[in-house]
Amino acid sequence: MRPLDPRLAGRIGPARRYIIVTAVLGLATAITIGFQALVLSRALAPVLAPTPLTDDGLGPVGFLVPIEARTLSVALTWLVVIVLIRVALTWTQERLAHRAGAQVISELREQVVAHAAALGPRWIASGEGTAVATTVTRGLESLMPYFVRYLPQLLLSATVTPIMLVVVLGLDWISALIVIGTLPLVPIFMVLIGLVTRERSAKHLEAMQKLAERTLDLIAGLPTLRALGRERGPAARVRELGEAQRSATMGSLRIAFMSGMALELLTTLAVALVAVTLGFRLVDGDVSIETALAVLILAPEVYLPLRMVGTHFHASADGLAAADAAFEVLERPVVAPGGNAPAPSLHGATVVVEDLSVATPDGRRLAPARLNVVARPGTVTALVGPNGDGKSTALAAIMGLLEPDSGFVAALTSAGRTDASAVESEGWSTQFAWAPQRPDLGPEGRTLSLGQRQRVALDRALGAGRPVVVLDEPTSHLDRSSRDEVIARIVDAASAGATVVVATHEEALIHAADSVVEVTAMEVAR
Amino acid sequence: MTALRTLLRESDLSRPRVALAILTGSAALGSAVGLAAVAAWLIARAAGMPSPADLALAAVVVRFFGIGRGLFRYLERLVSHDAALRGVVALRARVYERLAAARADKVLGLRRGDTLSRIGADVDSVGDAVVRGIIPLGVAVVVSGIAVGINGWMDPRAGAVLAVALVVAGVGAAALTWRSARLAAEASVTADARVTEAVMSSVDAAAEHKVWGTAAAARASLREADAEAERAQDRSARPAAFAAALQALSAGAALVGCLWIAVTGAADGLYGPTTAAIIVLLPLASFEAVGGVPAAVTQLFRSRKAAERILDIAPNTPEAEDGAPSAGTTPDAQEPVATDTVPAVELVAVSAAWPGMTPTTPLSATVHRGGALAIVGRSGVGKTTLLTTIAGALAPAAGSVRIEGKPATRELLGTTVGMTAEDAHVFGTSILENLRVARGDVSDHEAVEALTLVGLMPWVNGLADGVHTVIGAGGDSISGGERRRLLLARAFLTPQPVVLIDEPAEHLDTAGRAALTAVLQRLRQQDRTVVIVTHHLDLTAHVDTVVSLDV
Repeated sequence: MRPLDPRLAGRIGPARRYIIVTAVLGLATAITIGFQALVLSRALAPVLAPTPLTDDGLGPVGFLVPIEARTLSVALTWLVVIVLIRVALTWTQERLAHRAGAQVISELREQVVAHAAALGPRWIASGEGTAVATTVTRGLESLMPYFVRYLPQLLLSATVTPIMLVVVLGLDWISALIVIGTLPLVPIFMVLIGLVTRERSAKHLEAMQKLAERTLDLIAGLPTLRALGRERGPAARVRELGEAQRSATMGSLRIAFMSGMALELLTTLAVALVAVTLGFRLVDGDVSIETALAVLILAPEVYLPLRMVGTHFHASADGLAAADAAFEVLERPVVAPGGNAPAPSLHGATVVVEDLSVATPDGRRLAPARLNVVARPGTVTALVGPNGDGKSTALAAIMGLLEPDSGFVAALTSAGRTDASAVESEGWSTQFAWAPQRPDLGPEGRTLSLGQRQRVALDRALGAGRPVVVLDEPTSHLDRSSRDEVIARIVDAASAGATVVVATHEEALIHAADSVVEVTAMEVAR
Repeated sequence: MTALRTLLRESDLSRPRVALAILTGSAALGSAVGLAAVAAWLIARAAGMPSPADLALAAVVVRFFGIGRGLFRYLERLVSHDAALRGVVALRARVYERLAAARADKVLGLRRGDTLSRIGADVDSVGDAVVRGIIPLGVAVVVSGIAVGINGWMDPRAGAVLAVALVVAGVGAAALTWRSARLAAEASVTADARVTEAVMSSVDAAAEHKVWGTAAAARASLREADAEAERAQDRSARPAAFAAALQALSAGAALVGCLWIAVTGAADGLYGPTTAAIIVLLPLASFEAVGGVPAAVTQLFRSRKAAERILDIAPNTPEAEDGAPSAGTTPDAQEPVATDTVPAVELVAVSAAWPGMTPTTPLSATVHRGGALAIVGRSGVGKTTLLTTIAGALAPAAGSVRIEGKPATRELLGTTVGMTAEDAHVFGTSILENLRVARGDVSDHEAVEALTLVGLMPWVNGLADGVHTVIGAGGDSISGGERRRLLLARAFLTPQPVVLIDEPAEHLDTAGRAALTAVLQRLRQQDRTVVIVTHHLDLTAHVDTVVSLDV
C-alpha cells in the first residue's frame, strides 16, 4: 500500500500545505536533534577523557558547535535553547496537525457531498447515499490520526533519517557504514516476511472476518430469535465462534507481529553493534571520545522515525482506506440527465410520458414499467397503484431528476414537442413545484413533525406559481377536514392554469382528478 | 470509569496474563533503557583505554539488550492480544446472553437504528482498553521506575530529577489528554451532529434542492456546520498539543538537570566517568516509556464510552419490570388454554405506541382458534407497533390484549405467540438452518414441504446445494421476493399456536401473494390462529375479520 495517497496532496489544498509545512518542521527537528547530540558529547567528553582534551574530537562537523561547549555553563546554555526550540516545534507541529486534519476532512467532505448530490437520486436511492453519509462523517474521522500521528513520522523518516546519517558519516565513517548496511535491511526484511507470510495471513484474515461476521449476524438476528422464543440457544454458539475467532486471530497475529519484530530487532541490534564497535575502537585509540559519544547518541535517532512509522501503521491503513472510499465517490463520473438546449417554458405546456420504464436498484424489476401519461395544463392527473410500483420514481423522471432506462418525458408547447432528455436539466427541473413524501425544508424544518413538514411543503408547492405542480401523497398525514381543504386547493391550482400531477391512494383525490393513470411494475425476466 | 471496570471484570480478564504482558512489555522497553545505560558505561570505560577483555561482558550485555527489545516486544504483543481476545470472547457471549434475557420490547426495539451493528465494535473497543490502554500504562510505570532506580542509585539527585520529569511528562500529559478527549467527545455531540444532519440533508434531499434551487443554501449550511466542527476540534486539540509540548519540555529539563548533576558530581569526585555517562545518557532513552501515555489515555477514554454504550443497551442489573407486561404481575398466572368459548386473540379498544409516538386508532376484535384476523392501514400508521403490542412485547398505550383468555405478556412471546416481523433476519447460514430458526428439529422433509407450500422449491432446486445452500451474509444473495417467501415458510414451521405475521408494504409480487394465501390456509387447517398485518386487500377473502387502522 502507498504510504501517502497522491490524490490527497493533489486535490485537497490544506493537505498539500500541511505536507510542505510538516516537512519543513521535520527538517528543523532534525537539525535540533543533531545539535543536541553534538553539545552533549562536547560537555561529557572532558569528564570521560583520561587526559585533558586538546584537539577538536568532532572532526569535520566540529565547526557546528564551538569547542567552548566543553565548559558546563556554555553547554547548558546551548542545551536550554535547543530544548526550548524543540518544545516550540513540537507544539507547532501538534497544533498544525489537528488543524490541518480538520480542514482536510471538511474539504473532502464538502467535495464528496457535492459530488454525491450531483450523482442524482437513483444513485442515492440505491443505498450508496447512506454509505456516503457514513463515509463522510464517521469514516473520514479516521483521517485524523493519519494526519496527526502517521504523516509527520513518515515525513520525519524522510528528513531526520538521511540528515542524521550524513552527520554520522561526517563523524565516523565506520559507524555510518554499519547504519547504512542495516538500514536497507529493514524494508527488505519486512517485504520478505510479508511475501512469505502473505498467503497464510490472508487465509487467517479471511477466517477471522467470516467468524466475526457470523457472530454479528447472530446478534443482529436477536430480535427475530426473540420473536420466536429461540434466543437462548445461540449464546453457546457465540462463545464457540468467539473462541474460534480468537485462535484464528492469534494465528494471524503470530505472523503479522513478525515484521514488527524484525523492525525492532534490526534497529536496536544495529545500535548495539555501533556501541560495541565504538567501544573497542576507543580502546585502540581509533576514534575520539567526543565522536564516540555523538555517534552513540545519534544512532537511535536515525532509526526512530522508521520505528514510529511502523507503530502508527494502522492509523495509516484506516486513514487511507477512508480517503480511498471518499475518492471512489469523487471519481464516479456524473451522468447528468438532460442535454444542452435551453429548456422551454412549461407554462401552458402538456407534459407527456411515453413508455417510461425505470429499473429498481437491484435491477430485478421495472417500476414503473411502460408508463404512459398525458398531463394537460389546467387539469389534475392522478398516478395510482400499489406502493413500490414506481409512482414516486415516475414523478422524479417527469421532473428530469433521473434518466429513464427507456421511454421519454416531453413537453408539448405551442412551439412543438421538446424532449426533457434534450434540454438543460436545471432549467427543466426548476419549473416544477414539488412536494415530496418526506420533505427536507432545511434547518427550520427539523423541529416539525412529518405531517407538519408535509403541510409546509404543500403550501410552498401550491404557492410557488410554477407551471407544473407535482405532489407525492399530499394527503397521507392529514385528517379528514384538512384533507378536503387540500384537495380543494389542488383543484384550484389546476383551474388557475397549472399542470398538476399527483401520486395518491386517496379516494377523494382520485375522484377529484381529471384523469387517472395506473402505475404498474414488472419483474425483469432472469 | 465504572462502566469500563464493570465490563472488564465481567470479561473474566485474567490478571496473571495481563501481568505477564506488562512484564514482557517492560522487558522490551527496559531493554532499550538497559542498552542506553550499558552502552554509556561501555563507552565511558573504553575511553580510559583498559584492556579489551574488560569490555567483553559489557559488549555481550549490550548485544543482548539489542536483541531483547525486539523479542520481548513480540512476546508482549502476543500475550496482551491473547488476554484481550479472551476477554472480548467472554464479554461478547455475556452481552449476547444479557440481550437475550432483556425485556422483549427492548430487544425488538433494537432493530431501530444501528445499535446492534455498533455493539460488536464496542465490545472490541473494551478489549482495546487492555492492549492499548492498561498494558502500555503499566509498562510506562514499571520502566519509569527502573530508570529512576538506576539513576537514583548512581546519584539520588539525578534520580529525583528524572522522577519529577517522568511524573510530569506522564501524569501531566495523561490529564491534558483526558481533557482533550472529553472536549472532543462533547463537541461531537453538538458539532458532529450538525455536520451529520447537514450531510444527510444535502445528500438525501439532493433532488429537492435541485428542484427548488436550494442546493447552494444546503452547501452553505454544510460549510457552516463544518467550520463549527473545525473550531470545536481546534479547542479540543489544544490540550493535546500542550501534552506533547509538556513531554518534550520534561525530557529536555531532565537532560539539562542530569547533565549538570553528572558533570559537577564527577568534578567533585563523587563518582567516576562511567557513572557520569550513565546519568546523562539514561534520560535520553527513558522518556520513550511515557511517550505512549497520551495514546493509552485516549484509548481508555474511547473504551469507557464504548462500555457505557454497551451497559446502556444490555445493563447488568435486572431491569425494573415496567414497560411490557409480565406474567408475574397477573395474580392468577396459569397456562393459558384456548377453548371453543375462550377467544384465541381478543383486542379490546387497544391502541399501541412506542414511547413518544402518536398512539394508533383504538381497535377491538375477537378471533377464535383457527381463525384469522387481518389488520390493514396505510404505511406509517402503526401496524407493526400494534402487532408488537399484540405479541405482548410492548404494553398497550390504551385498552387491552388477551391471548387465550389471559392478558398478553412478554412471557407468551415464543411460547404461545410466534411473530414474524417484516424485517425478520435471514441468517448467514443454510436455507435449512434458517428454517430451523422456527423450530430446532425441522427435518429435511418438513423443510421441503414448507418450501413447496410457499413456491420456493423451483428456486431451491436451482441452487447448488439445495436446502443446504448458504444464503444471507456471506452466502448466495436472495431477492426481496424470495426472502419474503422464506420468512413465510419459517412462520409456517413455528410451533406456537398463535402466529403473527407482519407483511411488508412493498415488493409482494404475485408469487408472494399466492404463498401468503397458501400459508394462511394451511395454518388455519392446523387449527392455529393467525393475525396478519397487510396492505393487500385481496387477502381479505381468506380471513374472518378485517380491521382498519385508517381514520
